[in-house]
Amino acid sequence: MTGPAAGWLAVVPSRPFVEHGLETRFPLAPGDRSLVDAGANVAAGDPLLERLRDRRVDETGLPPDAATSARAGQRWTPETRGRRRPEHVVEGELLAPVSGGRDRWRMVTGEHRDRLLAPVPGDVVDVRPGAEIRLRTAGASLTGSFAAGSSARGRLELATDPFGELRAGGIDVGRSGSILVVGSRIDAEALTRARAMGVRGIVVASLPGKELRDFQASERRQRAALHPTPPFGVLVLEGATRRRIPSPVMALFEALTGREVSLLVDPPALVFDDADLELPPVAADWVHVRSGPSAGAEGRVVAVTGLRRFAANVMLEAARVAIDGEGVVDLPLGDLERFV
Amino acid sequence: MSSEPRAFAAVDRGTATVAASLIGRVAGHWRLLGATAAPISVDPDALLERLRGRLVEADPPLAKQLGLADPEGVADLPRVGCETTAPPEIAVVGATARVAAPLAEAATGAGWRVHRVVLDGASILSSAAALANPRVSAILAGAGDPPGADERPLLADLTALVGATTERRPDVVAVLSGGLADPGGRYEAAIASDRPGATLLAPSPTVGGGGPLRELLDSLRGGEADGRRGLAVATGTLAGVLGRRVEVVEVGQAAGVRVVATPGGPGRDATVASAVVAEAALLPRGFGEPHLDSVVGWLTIPLDRLRVRDRLRELAVSPWGDAAGEGALLRLAAVRGAVRRLLEATPWMDAGPAPDVLVAAGGAWSVAPGPAIALALADVVRRPGVRALGLDHARLLAPLGTIEDPDERRRVITDLRDELLVPLGTVVMPAGLRGGRSVGRIEVRGAAGSTELDLVPGGLELVDLPPGERAVVELRFRDPVTLGPKARHFAVEATGGLGGLLVDLRDVPLRLPERLERRRDLLTAWQAALWSGLDR
Repeated sequence: MTGPAAGWLAVVPSRPFVEHGLETRFPLAPGDRSLVDAGANVAAGDPLLERLRDRRVDETGLPPDAATSARAGQRWTPETRGRRRPEHVVEGELLAPVSGGRDRWRMVTGEHRDRLLAPVPGDVVDVRPGAEIRLRTAGASLTGSFAAGSSARGRLELATDPFGELRAGGIDVGRSGSILVVGSRIDAEALTRARAMGVRGIVVASLPGKELRDFQASERRQRAALHPTPPFGVLVLEGATRRRIPSPVMALFEALTGREVSLLVDPPALVFDDADLELPPVAADWVHVRSGPSAGAEGRVVAVTGLRRFAANVMLEAARVAIDGEGVVDLPLGDLERFV
Repeated sequence: MSSEPRAFAAVDRGTATVAASLIGRVAGHWRLLGATAAPISVDPDALLERLRGRLVEADPPLAKQLGLADPEGVADLPRVGCETTAPPEIAVVGATARVAAPLAEAATGAGWRVHRVVLDGASILSSAAALANPRVSAILAGAGDPPGADERPLLADLTALVGATTERRPDVVAVLSGGLADPGGRYEAAIASDRPGATLLAPSPTVGGGGPLRELLDSLRGGEADGRRGLAVATGTLAGVLGRRVEVVEVGQAAGVRVVATPGGPGRDATVASAVVAEAALLPRGFGEPHLDSVVGWLTIPLDRLRVRDRLRELAVSPWGDAAGEGALLRLAAVRGAVRRLLEATPWMDAGPAPDVLVAAGGAWSVAPGPAIALALADVVRRPGVRALGLDHARLLAPLGTIEDPDERRRVITDLRDELLVPLGTVVMPAGLRGGRSVGRIEVRGAAGSTELDLVPGGLELVDLPPGERAVVELRFRDPVTLGPKARHFAVEATGGLGGLLVDLRDVPLRLPERLERRRDLLTAWQAALWSGLDR
């Protein structure tokens, strides 16, 4: 057994508690229009992009001087002819030339556009028409396991304790505009109710696959509606099976309560301004059990013990952990996680 | 690696885990001193320091002799290392499905994650959107040579779309194949030559069975010290050292790899064929119902589909976690599904004779007991013949494959030949058995004596043959069967291993009951014979 010598903790898996400079992506389909340029600084709430809701492909002719320099992805406004009123002329994005020359192009356009506001402040790293906008976020970020819905911004509120579960009946319009931390799990009914009540996002420790699929189906139905819907996202911190929110993360949420935070979907993360925030301290030997039968438990690593035999006759590298409120047990190293 | 060091470290950084080994020179030969693995977040130096500490505890004089008595010893160690990353993504575009299919197959076998785009019947908008996917780093466009009547009307659109995509994404690599690969022709001219991304002309997928196109696409994947290339190189060297045909099936978090190497004879290099298949990852991206079926079909624990899906999502989030108990069974079921996909994606590698040695590699296998791995290999690699089974337990093959000097690599692998692989046993797998109570007899003559058994079709007979032992296996069938050649009487040599000798008289290919409960009972019965301590 290895004693508590310097460095032995390094073999216990770890991940950063919070990170800085996270890069997030906002997808652009052909025809969508970026309202920012690479290098620009955006604040939360600034216009970021316009999405076409009724995307179609038109053919358009280009004058000879424009045809030589035209490029796919370029914005283009067809010339008005005759008595057509300017408001009926819609601009769009050049998709590809019609075969046989570069003076006629296919153009993606549409009548109805939804404007997306930046859910997070940061610097625009890259704009690729028809592909994506990449933004380096300002502030600190807490990474999750996966997310669904769309990126959103709101004030953080705690709806339950770290072990709790939020039911649909527990959500009302008083939560409108908030990003709710809901404890260990939530079901699809509560998610759709939260969205209907104007909640901007949910942060939860775990979300079973069935609830995720039901929520995603509901999202698809919402997006198919004619009216734009406010952004709403779900950030899952740990996984699909039920467990608590780790206590350092919960302490961070408590410190962030009432502040504006951004919930990002790609990558899954919660971004917040940490300029005047004191992050909760995490002891170097603190671990939580990330997976396995003891998932959700927390404690202190006492030692790294070497190979041990576990259930099903499986030999794994192990650590001795003093579980909070319980005894000392040997657990597979792969099931443990520290925050650094 | 510098010449003649006393010890060196080998590090294999995968997408989910990192493996580290210490190799030292003992009595003039390289020996494996220790190996371990951990989640990818763990610094390999910490693992090497742990191995060094174990060596110091176990054999202080040896540690001192190798310069590993102090912690500084690890920092100064020469290293061979490799890294595997998630496969890059490629858009494969053709005018018709007939043209796109072989292109996609070549790209799949070359280690790319493929997005197939077929213009025929699709809207120009959806095709353009698929090609503009920001995760795509290359486009493979092709046409028949000469183009077929079904694709000619669409070639102008195909050219326009590919040209437009390179305007949107000047950095993307464009590969023109078959009928589009006319040097200086109109298809190449449609792509700007002054952009940062390369434009390449490639052979048609019909040339050489797709091999030349696969090789070109494989070379575009990039990545220095690529672990998958290292695995192929080391497998070739191992085949030369052993003088036997070696096949490796690696299952990783991001892709599966299959390598087949045939020794080249005295003074000649081995012939190596390899394929990296993203779809053969333990849990491929875009995991759907067919993938779930492939796992559930091998499960020996009664979990409903929702629960299995949740457990697999957990496995995707923490690939190193929940490795004991039911987690181990679930993982091995997922591995079986992945190997099946790997074999199905690489049919051209079945053309030669069956391998003499079959090796399981990759982190996904590493948690199961050896005999259970032997059974899993026998379950999914269903080719008639006799083959030894091994496990690349320390994940040494890939890093050793990065040793550039072939002579030095051969010397190291020759020294380590008995330690590179954990011997899992030998499997005897005849095909073409007729039904009945008994189809013949088997006699196994080893150092411990002789064992004789009836050969009952449909079953799995186990003969105890410990690691290090050899035995002569004599099989007499009533009717001719296929075991390599087709005959009634065979006498072969078998090597021992953790699983002993497996005489696999089940169907080739394996047929399992459709009903889930019956299927599970049968799998459980086979597994119980080879996985001791399952109930603990």
